[in-house]
Amino acid sequence: MNEGRRPVDARLVLKRATGMGAIAGLAGVYLSLVGIVERFETRNVVTGVVTLGLLTVAIAILVAAFVAPRPPRAWGMAEPSRGLKLAASVLAGAAAASVLVLFLIAVESLDLRDIFPNASSSLSRILSLGMDGPAGWAALAALCLAMGSIAGGLHALRPRDRQPLVAAMSAVLLVSLMEPFLNNVFLQLRQNALASFIYERSGLTIPAALIVFVVVLAVAAFETYRGKQARERVESLPAPTRRNAKYVTLFFVGVLLLVLPHLMGVFLSEVVGTVGLYMLMGLGLNIVVGYAGLLDLGYVAFFAVGAYATALLTSPASSLGLGLDFWIALPIVMVIAAITGIIIGAPVLRLRGDYLAIVTLGFGEIVRILLLSDALRPIFGGAQGILAIPPPEIGDLRLAGPVNLYYPILAFVVLGAFVAWTLANSRVGRAWNAMREDEEVAAATGINTTNYKLLAFAIGAVFGCVAGAFLSVKIGVVFPQRLDILVSITVLSLIILGGMGSIRGVILGAFVLVGLPELLREFAEYRLLIYGGVLVTMMLLRPEGLLPNRSRQRELHEEHDAEETQYQQRAGGDTGAPVISSP
Amino acid sequence: MTTERDDLPAGMTADEVSAAPSQATVEAANHEPLMVVRSLSKHFGGLVANREIDFDIPRNSIVSIIGPNGAGKTTFFNQLTGFFEPTSGTIVFDGLDIAGLAPNQVAKLGIGRTYQNIRLFKEMTVLANVMVGRHVRLRSQWFQALLHLPSVKREEAETTQRARELLDLVGLSRRYEDELARNLPYGDQRRLEIARALASDPKLLLLDEPTAGMNPGETAQMTQFISRLRHELGIAILLIEHDMKVVMGVSERITVLDHGERIAEGTPEQIRTDPLVIEAYLGKQATA
Repeated sequence: MNEGRRPVDARLVLKRATGMGAIAGLAGVYLSLVGIVERFETRNVVTGVVTLGLLTVAIAILVAAFVAPRPPRAWGMAEPSRGLKLAASVLAGAAAASVLVLFLIAVESLDLRDIFPNASSSLSRILSLGMDGPAGWAALAALCLAMGSIAGGLHALRPRDRQPLVAAMSAVLLVSLMEPFLNNVFLQLRQNALASFIYERSGLTIPAALIVFVVVLAVAAFETYRGKQARERVESLPAPTRRNAKYVTLFFVGVLLLVLPHLMGVFLSEVVGTVGLYMLMGLGLNIVVGYAGLLDLGYVAFFAVGAYATALLTSPASSLGLGLDFWIALPIVMVIAAITGIIIGAPVLRLRGDYLAIVTLGFGEIVRILLLSDALRPIFGGAQGILAIPPPEIGDLRLAGPVNLYYPILAFVVLGAFVAWTLANSRVGRAWNAMREDEEVAAATGINTTNYKLLAFAIGAVFGCVAGAFLSVKIGVVFPQRLDILVSITVLSLIILGGMGSIRGVILGAFVLVGLPELLREFAEYRLLIYGGVLVTMMLLRPEGLLPNRSRQRELHEEHDAEETQYQQRAGGDTGAPVISSP
Repeated sequence: MTTERDDLPAGMTADEVSAAPSQATVEAANHEPLMVVRSLSKHFGGLVANREIDFDIPRNSIVSIIGPNGAGKTTFFNQLTGFFEPTSGTIVFDGLDIAGLAPNQVAKLGIGRTYQNIRLFKEMTVLANVMVGRHVRLRSQWFQALLHLPSVKREEAETTQRARELLDLVGLSRRYEDELARNLPYGDQRRLEIARALASDPKLLLLDEPTAGMNPGETAQMTQFISRLRHELGIAILLIEHDMKVVMGVSERITVLDHGERIAEGTPEQIRTDPLVIEAYLGKQATA
C-alpha cells in the first residue's frame, strides 16, 4: 500500500494541521459574526446539554481536526502513524482555540458592534460557555481542544468502527433537528406523552438522545460487521420469497405515503408538497443535466410557463377567461411545455458547456421579465400576476388545501420517477449518456444528437411545467416574483447534492435542500449561505453526490476498500492471516 | 421526435438501410467496389489538406492509407465519416453519394470507425459502450420504452446478447462488462472501441492507427485480429497506419498520401519499391 510513497514528514503534517485548525477557528469567527451562532443558540440539540449555536462552531473544528492529519494524496506521502495523527488533530484544535479565544477577547474588550452588529455581549456569553473573563476563555479553549482530541480519537479507530460512531452522533443531531416535524406528527397522533418524553424545549431529552444514540450505533455496527452476510443471506433466499418480500415492503411504503398527510397535518403537508414540486423539477432537470449533459441554468423558465399556462387556462379571472377544468388544462400545459422546451432548445443546439449555461440563464430571465413587463400586462397581469386559480377537482372532490393536493403531487412524482428511470435504462438513456460523454463520437456512432438534445429539453420542460401547474393551483395565484433565478439554482443544487443522474439522489436532495429549511426556521435566513457551503463541501469531499448512480458509486467503494485493506494489512502481522496486497 | 427515418437520403427505405449485409447481396454486388472516391478535395482556407484524391475500397478487402505526419490521412478519414464536408469531389458508398451527409447518417448507412486517440464513453460501462454502438440498428422510440412494450424488452435483450457476443469476438472478458470503460487497460480499450464500431453491423470499418502505442507483441496480435475480422464478418476494412509492418502484412492495396496528394497506389510489393514513397518517407537522399 505504502510502497512508492515518500516517508511521512511529521513537520509538514503538523504544519498543515495547524493551518487547518486556524481555518476552522476563522470559520467559527465567521459563523459568529454573521449571527448564526447566536441565532441557532435558541435551538436545543440535547436540552440542557448541547445547543445548536455553539455546536456549529464545534462541528467545524471537529471536521477540520479530523481531516487535518491525513496528508493530501498529491503529496504522495505514506499514511502517518496513529500517534502523529492524534498530535496533528490536537494541534489543529489548539490552533482553532487560539483564533477563537483571541476573537472572544476582542469581542469582550472592544466594541465591534459598529462594524459587526452581531459581535454582542450575548455572543461572548455563548462562546465563553456562560463564564466570565479568563474562565470563559479557558472554557472555550478547552472545548476546541476537546474537539481536536475527539477527532484524533476517531482516527485511532478502524473505519468500520468509526462509521457506526459517526452515524450515531449524526443521528442524534438529525433527530433533534427534526423536532418541529416529529413533534408535530406525535401531536397529530395524540401521542402527547411520547412527544414530551422525546422532546423538551425544541431539543431531545437526555434519555431520548441516549436511546437514539445506542439504537443507531447498534444498527450501524450490525450493518458494517454483519451487513454483508445479511445481504448475502437475503440474496440466497429463493427468488419468489424475495419478490414477495419486495412487494410487502412496497405495500407498506405505499400505505405510509398515503396516510402521511393525515399524520403530518396542514403545515407539514404544505412543506412536503413544496418538496414534491422541487422533486418533479429535479427529476426533469436531471434528465437535461444529469443524463444528457446539457447544463441548463434557466430551468425556472419552464416552471413559470407551466404556472402561467395553467393560470391562463383555468382561472376565470385571467385574460383568456376560459376557466377550464385543471385536468383538461394539464395535457394542454404539457404540450405547451414540450413546445417551449424545443423553442428554447433549438437555438442552443450548437452551444456547449459554459456557453450553453449562460444562454439558458438568459432565457430564464427573459421569461421572468416578459411576465413582469407592462407591455404584456393585459395578458399576464404584470407584477400582480393572475389570481383566482381554482383547485383541481375529481368528481365532487375539490383538491384544495395542502393535505388534498399532496396526493396528485405524489402521483406525479411517482410517475415522473418512473418515466425518468425507464428512459435512463433504455436506448434513449444510453444515447443521452453517450452524448454527454463525447458528442462527436456519439454522432459518429449514429446518434442524431440534434433530436436527442431536443428530446431531453422537451421532456425536462414537461416535468418543469407540471411542477409549475401544481404551484399555481397550490397557492391559487401566480406572480413573477416567485419565479426567479433562485428556483433554477435550488433545483440544480439539489441535483448536485443528491448526485448527478441519480433519481434517489434527487429525492434526497429535495428533502435536504427544500424540506429542511422550511422546517428549521432558524436556517431560513441563512439558506443561501448554507446552499453555498453545502455545494462547496460536496465538490471537495464527495463530488459524485450523496446517493450517486451505480457506476459512480463503485469508484467510491474502491477507495473505501483501499482504506480497509490498509488496516487489514497492518492487522495481518498479528493474526498470521495471509496478506493480500491490493491490486 | 427521434424518427431517424427523416435523415435518410431520398430513395432509401429504413429496411434497406438496417438490413445486415447478407451473403447474397454481397455476392450480387461483388463486381463494383464498396466505396468509390473520386477527385476528393478539402481546403481549409488557403490550406489544401486533400487534393483530387481517387480511391477505391473493394468489398471484403483490407486497404490502407499511409503517409508521413500531416499528409492529410485523418482529414480524408473525416470526410468519409461525415465530420468534414468535402470542398469538392464525390464519395459513393454502396451506390449512394455520401459526401456532405452528417456523421450519424453515415454511421447508419454502414460505416463504423475507431479513433487514433481512443475515444470511448469513459464514464459508461463496457457493455453500455457496445450497446450504444448498436444504437442505429434499434428501433424502439422513447414513447415505446415508456410503455414497456414487449418489443422494446425483446430488442433490449437482443442488444445485450449481441453486445456480449461482440465482447467475446474482440476478446474482452465478460468479467469486464460492468466495469467503467476508463478503467480498462489501454489495449482492452482499443478492443472495446472496435467492438463498439462493429456493433452497428458496418459494411466498412475504418481503423485510425489501431496499433498506436502498442508493443510489438500486441501489434502482431492486433494485425492478426484485423485479418480475422475481415474473414469472419465479411466486411471491408480501411486502415490508417504509421507502422509499415502492420500495413504490409494485412493490406491488399495501399494508397500513399503526401502533402495532401495521392503519390502512389498499389499492392504492398509495389509500394515497398516505389521510389516516390521511399522519398516521401525517408527523404531525397534515400532514392539517390
